[in-house]
Amino acid sequence: MLPEMNGKCHIESIGVKIPGKRLTTSELTSKIKIPGIEKFGLLTGIQERRICSGNEDSFSLACDAARDCLTHSKYRAYELDLIICCSITRYKKGLSHLYEPSFSLLIKNVIEARKAMTFDISNACAGMLTGVYIAENLFRRGVIRTCMIVSGEYISNLYDHALKSIRTPLSSEISSLTVGDCGAAVILEKVPEDNEGLIVSGFKTFSHLSGLCTGRQNKRAPGGNMKTKSIKIHKASVINCLPIVKEALEVNGLTFDMIDYLIPHQTSRSSIISGAIKLFDSEGKKPGNLVVNLRDTGNTASTTHFLAIYQYLNENRFQKGDRIMLLCIASGLIIGVVIFRMNEIIYRYGNKN
Amino acid sequence: MGTKISMVSVSKLYSRFRPGNSISLSAGTVKECLCNSGIAPSDIGLLINTGIYRYRNTGEPSIAALIQNKAMPFSPGKASKGKEAASVPNTFSFDLNNGGCGWLSGIEIIDGFIQTGQIRHGIVVTADSEPFPGFSENYYFNTAAAAIILSGTETTGGFSHFRTYSFPGFCEEFISSTRFGNLKGKWGERNILVIKKSETYVDNCIDCAVISINRFLDETGFALKDIDLIIPSQCPKGFLTGIKDRLGISCKLVEVRNNMNKELHTAGPAFALNNSWNDNRFKSAENILFLTVGSGIFVSIALFKNLSY
Repeated sequence: MLPEMNGKCHIESIGVKIPGKRLTTSELTSKIKIPGIEKFGLLTGIQERRICSGNEDSFSLACDAARDCLTHSKYRAYELDLIICCSITRYKKGLSHLYEPSFSLLIKNVIEARKAMTFDISNACAGMLTGVYIAENLFRRGVIRTCMIVSGEYISNLYDHALKSIRTPLSSEISSLTVGDCGAAVILEKVPEDNEGLIVSGFKTFSHLSGLCTGRQNKRAPGGNMKTKSIKIHKASVINCLPIVKEALEVNGLTFDMIDYLIPHQTSRSSIISGAIKLFDSEGKKPGNLVVNLRDTGNTASTTHFLAIYQYLNENRFQKGDRIMLLCIASGLIIGVVIFRMNEIIYRYGNKN
Repeated sequence: MGTKISMVSVSKLYSRFRPGNSISLSAGTVKECLCNSGIAPSDIGLLINTGIYRYRNTGEPSIAALIQNKAMPFSPGKASKGKEAASVPNTFSFDLNNGGCGWLSGIEIIDGFIQTGQIRHGIVVTADSEPFPGFSENYYFNTAAAAIILSGTETTGGFSHFRTYSFPGFCEEFISSTRFGNLKGKWGERNILVIKKSETYVDNCIDCAVISINRFLDETGFALKDIDLIIPSQCPKGFLTGIKDRLGISCKLVEVRNNMNKELHTAGPAFALNNSWNDNRFKSAENILFLTVGSGIFVSIALFKNLSY
C-alpha cells in the first residue's frame, strides 16, 4: 500500500514566554558614546526588550513556552507525536551551551510527552519556520498527527560583547543591540483534506550570502557575539525575496491583496518598512496589514513570527478566515514563505470582554 | 518509489598538529560525493548537516549553509542584476542535532522529501571537530567528516521502516556542554567544552540497542537471520563488541578500524557504510540494517533493501 501523500496540517495552538526583566533602548544606548546613537530607538522602532534574569535561560524559556502552548491546546503532552526544538542558543544553567543530549529530548522529559519523537534543528532566525517546513512533510506523508515546534532564545548576552566593540554607527555589532530574549512554541495538527491547511513555499538558502551575518561563541568571555553587514544583508534580502514571494503567491493562486496580514522577520522598523514598500511596488498590490511588533520585545531571533501572532491573538486583532503570510529572512541567507488561514484558535486567546 | 544511496564519501584528519575544521572537511566530502556521483550541485534539493562539534561553535548561519557555500559555490556574477534569485540553485540547507542518531534522522527527513516528490536528490553531511582546539575536557572524538547522497528511484527497495526508540531515563549518562573558566595548564579564562560520560553509559547503550533491535524486528516482521549486514554507530567504545556478544552476529556487523585512540562520533556509521561499499559487502547484501545510538539514550534503526535484488 502506498503511503498517504496529501496530509495537511494547521496551527492548533501557540505559546510564548517573555522574560520579566525589561531593558529600555535608552538604558542600553546610554552606555555607548557614538554620535547619533540617541536615534537608535526611533530608527529600529524598539523602545524596550525583555531579557533573562535569575535562573532564566534558553532552556527555561523553551520549556515555559511549551507549557503555555499546551494550556491553550486541546492536546495533552502525551498526545504529541514529535517535538522539534529550533533554538539558535542552547544555553542551560546560565551561559553553558549544551551540545548533547538534544534540547528537544530534555523538553520532552520536562513536559512528559512520553511518545514524542524528538530532534533539534538549527537554522538561524529561520529555525521555527524550518521546523514547520520539516513537519509539513511528515504530515503530508501521514507519519505524524501532532507536532510541537519550540524555541528558546537567550540572546541578550550579545550586548556585553557589542557594548565593548561598537566604536562607530556603522559597527558590525550594532545589530546586536536590537535583540531580546523570548521563548515560543506552536502545535501543528493534522486537518481533513478539504481544509486549506498550511502552505509552505520557496525555502531556499542563498549560501553565497552566508557571510553577511555570523554569530559565534566568544573565546574569552561568556556568551556570544554577532557580526552583521546590515546594509548589505538588507539589500540582498529585498532583492532575493521578491521572486520567492511572487512564486509563492502565483503557485497558490493568490495575489498580495488576498493576504490580510504580512508578518516578516522582525529586525528593525525602518528596514521592514523600506523592504515592504519595494515588495508591494513590484507586485502592484499590498496586503491588508504589515505587522511590526518590535516596540516592546525587539528582535527575538527564531521566535519573532510566532511571538507576533501570539501578541495579535491576545489583542483580538485577527478574524477567523484571515489569511496570514509569514515571511522568513534569516542569516544564511534563508528565505521562505508560510501561508495559512486563521482558524478557531482566535477564540482561545485574549479577553473577549 | 524508493530512496537509494547514490554515493558516500568520508574524510579524516590524521595530523595531530593541524587543528581540524569541520566545515572545510565536510565541504571536501560533499564535493567528492558530487564529483563521483556525477550529480550536478544544482540538482541537490536539501542539504542537512548533522555534526555536533563544530568550528568555533558557530551559532549562525547554519553550518549547512557554510558547507553549501564551500562545496556548491554559486557565483552571482553569472546572473544579471534582479534575476539573481531565479538563477540560484533551489537548495535548502539546515543543521540537525540528534547526537549519534542525527545522521540517520537526516536520512529519514531526506527520504521523506524524496517520497513526496519535493526533491530528487539530497545530501546528509556530518563532521565533528573540537570547537576550540586544545580547550576541552575529555574530548575524545576524531576529526572526521562524511557525506551521503540520496536519490529517488522508480524501483522498489531502498530505505524503509525508520524507527527511533528513546530511553529518557539515561539522559544524564552523557552530557557535553561548555563552561566558562580556567583549564589546567592553560592561561586565562575561556569557554571550555566539557564531556561527562558515566561509567555505565556503554553498557546502557548496548542494553538499549538490543531492546530496540528486538522491538524493531517484532514491529517489522523481520527476523535477525533475514538481515545480511548491519551498519552501526562506531561509538561509544565497547558498543560494537557488546552488540556482537549479545546478538551473536559478528560477521554481519561492519566495524571501522580506528587506531588513533579516538572515537568516530556522528560520522561513524557513514565510515562503516563506506567500508562495506568499497569491499562490496554492501552491494552483495539484500537486507541491510542501519543502527545508530546516541546520547539520550536514543537508538535509531532503519532498513535498507538493496535495489539490485
